[in-house]
Amino acid sequence: MQKHNQKEHLYKLLVIGDLGVGKTSIIKRYVHQNFSPHYRATIGVDFALKVLNWDAETVVRLQLWDIAGQERFGNMTRVYYREAMGAFIVFDVTRPATFEAVTKWKEDLDSKLVLPNGKPVPTVLLANKCDQGIDVLMNNGIKMDQFCKENGFVGWFETSAKENININEASRCLVKHIIASESEPVQSIEPDIIKPHLNSSKIGSCSACFKS
Amino acid sequence: APLGFTDVNLNSRNTYEVSRRRSAPEHLAHGGTAPAEPAPPPQEPAERARHRVGIAGAGSSFAEFFTRNFFTKRTKELKPAAQSAPGWKLFGKVPPRENLPKDSKIIQQEYEARTGRMYKPPPSSARRKNIEFEPLSTTALILEDRPANLPAKSVEEALRHRQEYDEMVAEAKKREIKEAHKRKKIMRERFKQEENIASAMVIWVNEILPNWEGMRATRRVRELWWQGLPPSVRGKVWSLAVGNELNITPELYEIFLSRAKERWKSFSETSSENDIEDAGASVADREASLELIKLDISRTFPSLYIFQKGGPYHDLLHSVLGAYTCYRPDVGYVQGMSFIAAVLILNLEEADAFIAFANLLNKPCQLAFFRVDHSMMLKYFAAFEVFFEENLPKLFLHFKSYSLTPDIYLIDWIFTLYSKSLPLDLACRVWDVFCRDGEEFLFRTGLGILRLYEDILLQMDFIHIAQFLTKLPEDITSEKLFSCIAAIQMQNSNKKWAQVFASLMKDNKEGDKNHSPAPKS
Repeated sequence: MQKHNQKEHLYKLLVIGDLGVGKTSIIKRYVHQNFSPHYRATIGVDFALKVLNWDAETVVRLQLWDIAGQERFGNMTRVYYREAMGAFIVFDVTRPATFEAVTKWKEDLDSKLVLPNGKPVPTVLLANKCDQGIDVLMNNGIKMDQFCKENGFVGWFETSAKENININEASRCLVKHIIASESEPVQSIEPDIIKPHLNSSKIGSCSACFKS
Repeated sequence: APLGFTDVNLNSRNTYEVSRRRSAPEHLAHGGTAPAEPAPPPQEPAERARHRVGIAGAGSSFAEFFTRNFFTKRTKELKPAAQSAPGWKLFGKVPPRENLPKDSKIIQQEYEARTGRMYKPPPSSARRKNIEFEPLSTTALILEDRPANLPAKSVEEALRHRQEYDEMVAEAKKREIKEAHKRKKIMRERFKQEENIASAMVIWVNEILPNWEGMRATRRVRELWWQGLPPSVRGKVWSLAVGNELNITPELYEIFLSRAKERWKSFSETSSENDIEDAGASVADREASLELIKLDISRTFPSLYIFQKGGPYHDLLHSVLGAYTCYRPDVGYVQGMSFIAAVLILNLEEADAFIAFANLLNKPCQLAFFRVDHSMMLKYFAAFEVFFEENLPKLFLHFKSYSLTPDIYLIDWIFTLYSKSLPLDLACRVWDVFCRDGEEFLFRTGLGILRLYEDILLQMDFIHIAQFLTKLPEDITSEKLFSCIAAIQMQNSNKKWAQVFASLMKDNKEGDKNHSPAPKS
């Protein structure tokens, strides 16, 4: 039932992060609602499209750019950042080195891409593979909030592509911020205070993302 | 079987072969001899049988790949005598008739019994499988009486249903016959193709390989080459065609392999993460490389289940890639390499696979890509676009209108030499001609793919094209693709690929000059 007064948004989203952290898996889960432990390595870039009925008046089409994780490709994949409206940076909670790389990815992103209003693109941090029973982050929620604030992430989520945890939530958070940044292009927005609800059975969210 | 596979390592391929043999020993003797083939030279049957038996042990998808590839087609069409040859039976597929919906058949039989019309098998010529000509749907339900709680059918209604049913059956039979003819035709073509491969093998083994240098460039050999290399000589021909200008010996491979092993050992002893920060950047990179290899190996042809941990070729792939990072620390491990090494391992012995791998990656195009030499890659893309516009002007403009640049799809295709994007058997055929024609053929193949799907692509927008090209349909056939590739002219106003590329290089000569291939050992 397409309404005539329906607005349609098309957003290009980047999914970046170290090799093997689960970028492709997250996208497959999000778009195709399935998971396989046997995805092939992404070479270059892969694509997916997700259509969200955001609200009664708004349809959001998300163009997901799944970018190969090897650092070596950095130079080559820079062109793919162009015109993106938002990004997920993914790390693997079972491999601390992939978290160390998060700031590198964020800096790289911000250095290559700014919104038309000169601001960095809204970026959500995903702590993936949280199903693997490693609770390192659970005790570090406050530290993570601090980390996000310092590094300019609009939110963070513990995700599991395997168990389908928090992926829709993370996406809604990102889209919410993109819509907000679009509607207030000039006014400077204070970075949100992120309060992931870590105790409530791994359902994280961020303060800006509650839909009224 | 898994136990047999785990001890496959480096120089213990013999062990592996033993275990492979064990999985179907009684078929070995006949495995390689197809009745229709002229007698192959003595070492051939064992060689091919070895391959096939190995496949049988290696897991169903792998077996499927090969059977789909070379063997199955035959089993269905072969004359009874041939069918009894155990080597073929081993890979036979269950005919589809088993999964017919039973209830509609029963209903139909009941109907026939009721009406006194027995279903007569078609005349003897078409008797092959009379079930094929029965309607496969549940249309016969229309003949059933209504449930007791509903008013019964009137005589007219019942009659009409019967008439409708008869029409449906007639229609379905017509369709089935048509499809059966089509299937038969496909089978005939495949059978012919198999025969061609068999006779080509004899020519390759007896005539061409013994006189390689003299014959490789002859028209006859080049034409035969285009048809696809018989799997049994494929690895050998690839090796010869790629050459060994780096002069790598099996001994040299062993040296680099043992270096890689030492490094793995010290890497696993120092509890990884903490040390990386302390160490210099280059060491960190190299160690990260080792971790990358580990991560990527399990993601190389995962559906074949042979390169994953515990799979028969896991350690082999690890060894070849590890040795390469020691041999060429300036290149290191780059994603995409695992696919190339895997295809080589499937066709060559370990040391030969390494030699072909290192030499292949030392070709200018591969070196440019695996060093991620961006400016060189852009040159290749630009040359590709010249021929794109020449061959497919409409599609070229369509892509332009979406700013869809070749890097979006070519990176994946070139980095893996199509082994990730095309079905493996088809990728091997692309490799065949790539070994004959060089880098030019990689780009020609890309244009062939675009040509094959031109009509569909012209209907699509950016994201759908991008999705389509980064995940090609799985039902792509070699006949169609190769006829599209053949139709691509690698000629631009009398300039060939090499000339177009050279003139693009000249255009931007001010660019840096450190693209020379690595020193030869």
